[in-house]
Amino acid sequence: MVRSIFMTIILTLGTFAIVKPSETSAFSSQLIERGSFGDDVIELQARLQWLGYYNGRIDGIFGYGTYWAVRNFQKEFGLDIDGVVGSSTKKNLVNSTEYHEDWVKQQIDRGNQFTHYGGTPLSQQVKGGGGGSGQSKSSDMQLPVKYSERDLQLMANAVYGEARGEPYEGQVAVAAVILNRLESPDFPNTISDIIFQPGAFTAVADGQIWLTPNERAKQAVLDAMNGWDPTENALYYFNPQTATSKWIWSRPQIKQIGDHIFCY
Amino acid sequence: MKSAIYLLSIAVLALGLYSYEVRQENTNLQQTVHAQYTNALTNASERLTNLQEAISQSLLFQDQVALEAQLDNIWRMSNEFRSSISSLPLSTEVANDWLRYVGNIGEEAKYVADNGDFEEWHKKMGKINENLKALSDEWTVATTRFYENDGDFKKWASVATQETKESPFKNVSANLKSYTETDFPLTASESDWKKKQELQNLTDKELTKEQAIDKLELLIPGIKDATYTVTKSKETAPYPFYHIQFVKGSRIGYADITVKGGHILSFLSERPVQEHTGITQQQIKDRVYQFLGRAGYKDLQLVEMRENHEAWHISLARVVGKDKALVYPDGVQLKVSKDSGELLGFNAMEYVQKETVDESQPVNPIDWETFFRPGTIVEEERLIYTENDAFQLRKCYEVIARFDNKLNETFRVVVDTDNHDVIKVEYMP
Repeated sequence: MVRSIFMTIILTLGTFAIVKPSETSAFSSQLIERGSFGDDVIELQARLQWLGYYNGRIDGIFGYGTYWAVRNFQKEFGLDIDGVVGSSTKKNLVNSTEYHEDWVKQQIDRGNQFTHYGGTPLSQQVKGGGGGSGQSKSSDMQLPVKYSERDLQLMANAVYGEARGEPYEGQVAVAAVILNRLESPDFPNTISDIIFQPGAFTAVADGQIWLTPNERAKQAVLDAMNGWDPTENALYYFNPQTATSKWIWSRPQIKQIGDHIFCY
Repeated sequence: MKSAIYLLSIAVLALGLYSYEVRQENTNLQQTVHAQYTNALTNASERLTNLQEAISQSLLFQDQVALEAQLDNIWRMSNEFRSSISSLPLSTEVANDWLRYVGNIGEEAKYVADNGDFEEWHKKMGKINENLKALSDEWTVATTRFYENDGDFKKWASVATQETKESPFKNVSANLKSYTETDFPLTASESDWKKKQELQNLTDKELTKEQAIDKLELLIPGIKDATYTVTKSKETAPYPFYHIQFVKGSRIGYADITVKGGHILSFLSERPVQEHTGITQQQIKDRVYQFLGRAGYKDLQLVEMRENHEAWHISLARVVGKDKALVYPDGVQLKVSKDSGELLGFNAMEYVQKETVDESQPVNPIDWETFFRPGTIVEEERLIYTENDAFQLRKCYEVIARFDNKLNETFRVVVDTDNHDVIKVEYMP
């Protein structure tokens, strides 16, 4: 008796194990909607592209391009047209498309430019790239519309070079100062011009800006881009232990975070 | 002995060669930078002359088409000059003074070209033309030494580190400051904008440090009984606030709370977050509204949600009036962890000092079919308040429009409800 129960369990688990692989490439149970990000969105974009509804970049960011593609799909399949990918939309997508997860993720990891249309051999859908020259890797972060991945990278380099020894708040603060300068009429009009303005940042002068930033520096920049400003609108900062300029001491000070005093 | 001398000679020779090579490399680098700085200086000087001449020429025309072309030139030239100045190793003070003054000229040209107030331009630019000519002459005097034939890079290297009053740009800087004040006094809207930033208008009762912590814990119960370090803002800060740093378990963070009224301006907490999503997007929304209820913020509407590896960033804006227009400059931002839905960040600096909204601004309808080209579909439309270039808060239509094509390219278009000026067009990926 015990043996037959044991065998039944083994057989049931075995059956699941055989069925499971076809489901692992299907979506998670999360609703997917505008603002979503990650593997579910990569799968969604790839499946929509398989049928020709989505013609943009497969990057894991659920933006407007993906949103209209979902709505068009829902309309064609007689579903509620709300742009939200729930269980019925997922089911219809999975039933009507193929998703080559490993292949798609490989292309993303290699930085290749690629598409995932049905009816065309996948090998013919890689347009080259790689080595950073083609489609960027699945976007590392979802940014507010007015900023680009280049801005994120440059700012992360600056924050890491200037403040990697500072608390997280101090790193967000350095990023916020760069963004405050962008809004100020006293500074150049682009993030790159602000960072590379001669004499503006020590990290540029001593070459530390070229160190590879860590994830924490990127998160700090992301928080600043999303509106956080621990400096309360500062335009300058300096280390009181090392600052030699009399002028910088004449600026109205706001607060100190770690080793930096922030001022107007 | 002979061998030792021989080896030593070889070593000295190798060292000599090495140091010669390094020196040569440094000289080459210096010469490259020197050439670039001199080129940037020449460009800046030429662009300054061109800008001054363009302003002078603009005073010639009364004809609208001729003047508009000249205004476009002035706007472009002011940007080019700003770009040249920002690539020179000037002291921060001198660079800032130039960028502000010339930026003001460019903005003025753009504003007049958009609004057609040509009489005002002629009235204002007569004096600015004179001042810019004087500045151009002073700039020529100040920069002469950089063209001297000795090719000494040290002159460049010392410029950025010199105090302005000891540098050759002393007069340029002093005059730029004075001309900025007289030629471009702050408008009422700009002053308002600055006041908003500085939160000087709060009249609430002052809180002690302990009361500030209590207020923080009430709003964010997750950090209750943390270890706190509280400091007060510097005396020169335009408004006093408490800077509260806290540690609780793996959480480290800060909050800034105004001394007057204990308004939380900003809060951010850092802790390790699991990337695996534990809760749904709907649950995140629910947590956001629970928090807003606790904070007593009843007039906010969710505008945008953005997911990332560890957290969701959520933007909200204040809703006003019968037409439920969103006041974008009165925004609140929240950061919520993906693993547990914990509030990791809260930013309400702009919301604390509310904008004065002119609800009486007329809302004149627009026929989008004639406003946009055929093949453009208007998908969403709502009313918002946002600032125009002159920092005036205007009621606007916010439209999400897309091309009806393969790529479904989508744009956010903001149009003034009264005069139908296009305030902003953004590409929405």
